[in-house]
Order: sequence, then C-alpha cells, then structure tokens
Amino acid sequence: MDLFNPLLLYAGCALGAVGVAVALPRRGINPQVVGGLIAAVAFGLIMLALARSLDHLPTVTFYIFGVIAVGGALRVISHPRPVYSALYFILTILASSGLYLLLSAEFMAFALVIVYAGAILITYLFVIMLATETPTADEVEALAEYDRYSREPIFATATGFVLIAVLGTALAGGRGAGSLTPATRYAAGRHLSELSVRVERSLREAKLIEPGEHIIVNDSLGRPAIDVEGGTILVGRSGAEAGQTEARIIPREQWPADVHLNNTEGVAFSLLSSHPGAIEIAGVILLMAMLGAVVLARKRVDLDEQARAEADRRQLVDPVVGGSS
Amino acid sequence: MTGFASAMSALTGAATLTLGQSDFPHPMHQVTLAHYLVLSALLFGIGLIGFITRRNLIIMFLCTELMFQAAGLALIAFSRFHLNHTGETFVIFVLTIAAAEAAMALALVVLLFRRRETLDASAWSELRG
Repeated sequence: MDLFNPLLLYAGCALGAVGVAVALPRRGINPQVVGGLIAAVAFGLIMLALARSLDHLPTVTFYIFGVIAVGGALRVISHPRPVYSALYFILTILASSGLYLLLSAEFMAFALVIVYAGAILITYLFVIMLATETPTADEVEALAEYDRYSREPIFATATGFVLIAVLGTALAGGRGAGSLTPATRYAAGRHLSELSVRVERSLREAKLIEPGEHIIVNDSLGRPAIDVEGGTILVGRSGAEAGQTEARIIPREQWPADVHLNNTEGVAFSLLSSHPGAIEIAGVILLMAMLGAVVLARKRVDLDEQARAEADRRQLVDPVVGGSS
Repeated sequence: MTGFASAMSALTGAATLTLGQSDFPHPMHQVTLAHYLVLSALLFGIGLIGFITRRNLIIMFLCTELMFQAAGLALIAFSRFHLNHTGETFVIFVLTIAAAEAAMALALVVLLFRRRETLDASAWSELRG
C-alpha cells in the first residue's frame, strides 16, 4: 500500500523546485522572500501528500521541528553571507536534535548538539572568518563575487527535486516504509539483566527490599537473577543468612518505573558489546584526521607557483639580493 | 529529569509519547516512519542543491554536513521503527566521519585560500582531469 498521494507529492516537489530556484542568489532581481513562501507552500503540500489518513500522523511537534529544519537548510543554501549560512545550519542541527528527541534517541540528540553545534560548526565559523577576503576601503559591505551568484541554480534545483521526488516515492511507497512491519519487541531490553547493581539501587530506593537483602545472583534452582522476559527479580539475604530465608520474587507489576534500560544504556550496550571493532576504527579515523590536519596546517604556502617562479628567477639573476633576503 | 520528561509529554501528546520511558513502549507506525524519511529526503535534496549551486568552498562543505544530517535522521527513524539501537550507534559513526571530514576539509580550504586568496571553487577548475 502506498503511504502517500503521488500527485500531491510531485506537485509539492515541482513547486518546491520553483521556490528554491527563486530563492537562490542570482544575478539581477532576487526575491528571496517570495521564494521562501513558495517553498513553504511546497513543504505543506509534501506533508499533505503523506497525510492520507488521519491515523498515525506524527505529533504537531514533528511539523514544527520539520519546518524549522527545512527552513534553516534552505537559508543555508540561499544566504549570500557564509557566516549566516553557518548560523542557520546550527538552527537546522537544533531542530534535528528535537526530532531525535521525538524519536526517543535522547543520547544522540544531546551528542548532536554538543558535537555538531558546539564543535564542528565553531570550526567552520573560525575558518569562514579566517579565510575571508579583506574588503577594500571603499566597499565595507562587500560580498565576494562567488557568494553573490550561484552556479546553475535552475538545473541544480531541478536535479535536486527530481532526487527528492524519487527518494520520497521509494521511501514512502510500496516497497519502502509501507512494506515494513513495525517491531513490537524491544530486543535490547534483555541487557537489563546485566545491570544488577543499578536495579538493586532503584529497588532499594523504592523500599521494595529490606536492608541486608540483595539480588540473588546464584540461585540454587538456577533461575536468572533478573528475568526481563519473565518479569521477575529474585531477592534474598546473602552469605550466612542465606539458608534461613527463601529467595522471594518481585514480579514486574511491582517494579519501580526506572527499572528499564534507558536510551543511553541501550546505545552503550549496542556500541560496546555489539560493535566493539567499529569504535576502534572510528578512533583510528579521528587520529588520522587530526594528524592530517596538523600536517596540512603546518605547510607553509606563501606564494602561488607563478609568484614563486618569479621569485626563483629573481634569485637566479641577482644571487646577492636573494641570499640576503 | 522527570520534570523535563513530563513537560515534553505535555508538549508531544500522549499518543506517541516515548520520552522518559525509553524502553520503546509503543511500536511506531509505517506512516510516522514515512514522514521522517521524507523529511530526511528533503534535507538531503536541499544539501545536494546547495553543493551544486554554491561556489564558496566552505559552504559546499557545509552542504555535505547537511546531507550527513539527513542520513542521520533516517538512521534514527529506522532505529526507532525497528526498536533497536544499531541505527543510533551508526549515527555516532556519522558524527565521527563528519568531525574528521570537517578537520581535514577545513585545513585543505585554508591551504587553498592561502595560495589563491579566494574561496571560489572555480578558481581551481584547472584541476579537472
């Protein structure tokens, strides 16, 4: 079953292409506000194309964050000043992190804000400010020529929106999201049984176990201490008193609210127990990037080849001048 | 944290509430997934348009970051749909690659700028094969 209305989607893509092409910096008149409005209508059409039935629609927050993210992205590519582009990119990042929160990926949402908005974008801003042509005295507000005019705005926009239409059809169509069945079981939850210290602490805070009682790790019957599938936690006294009291079972109905695997723990288990090799490789990549950046930045480049050839020639003609300088 | 979670739950409505209760209690419907995927396709397409049209080297790299961002959103959406954390783990690697790319690319851009005193990508058009 198709999850979208193809006619509305393609109309939205065509209108969006017009809007973006109008908003991109061009020679002559450049009505960015008009382009932005057209693009906003196109965004509405595309979202309307996905709303075939009123069931299972995402919440209002999704649409708010979506508008902010797409609008920020549009400003990134249409603003003639690079510093503003970078700042609008931060806006897109913040909206994406809001979308991550809606998808209950809290750890990645905050990591995104810290790493992207905090570190990567600051590097970009530094380089933008470092590598800007100094304007001459008579033109204080000058924009570089390559920032004022974009390259092939119409063909590029057409290409981009054809890609968006194809991707939208593929992802929301019959063989995309429509053919998938949503998972109903949270597989990573079983890792909760490896966190006995934390579970015991929250049981103690909820006053479900008395002082001196612990989660029984080695039960004589061979039952698991924390059984997430069965919904039982075994507690009892350990050591010398163990023989006197039977281990008792705390059923799932009595578990305190924080006895579940939270997002950060889930990501940690996935990262460190399922993909331990990949994190090593990521570390190596970061190390190589750091070395490469240091090597590139240390290289002294003062002159173009032409200018250097000129300097060499001068040195050859007059070795005294070349040697003393 | 509970205050924050309850504030967010008031904001997002109860139907798809997942925050603060992250063992993914509700399965995510295909329609909701399709929304997130189309949004990520839009972000990717806008990044691509920017990469083609802009002539400033730094903005071109910023547009690749935009495309990374779109890929990350799709990965997180699939991670939520399939109720496991592998997609989120992948986003950590996307962040790693983006950071490495930013460091290398910006060092290269500074080098190129010092040589030609311009950020125009077409100033280096003689490099084409």
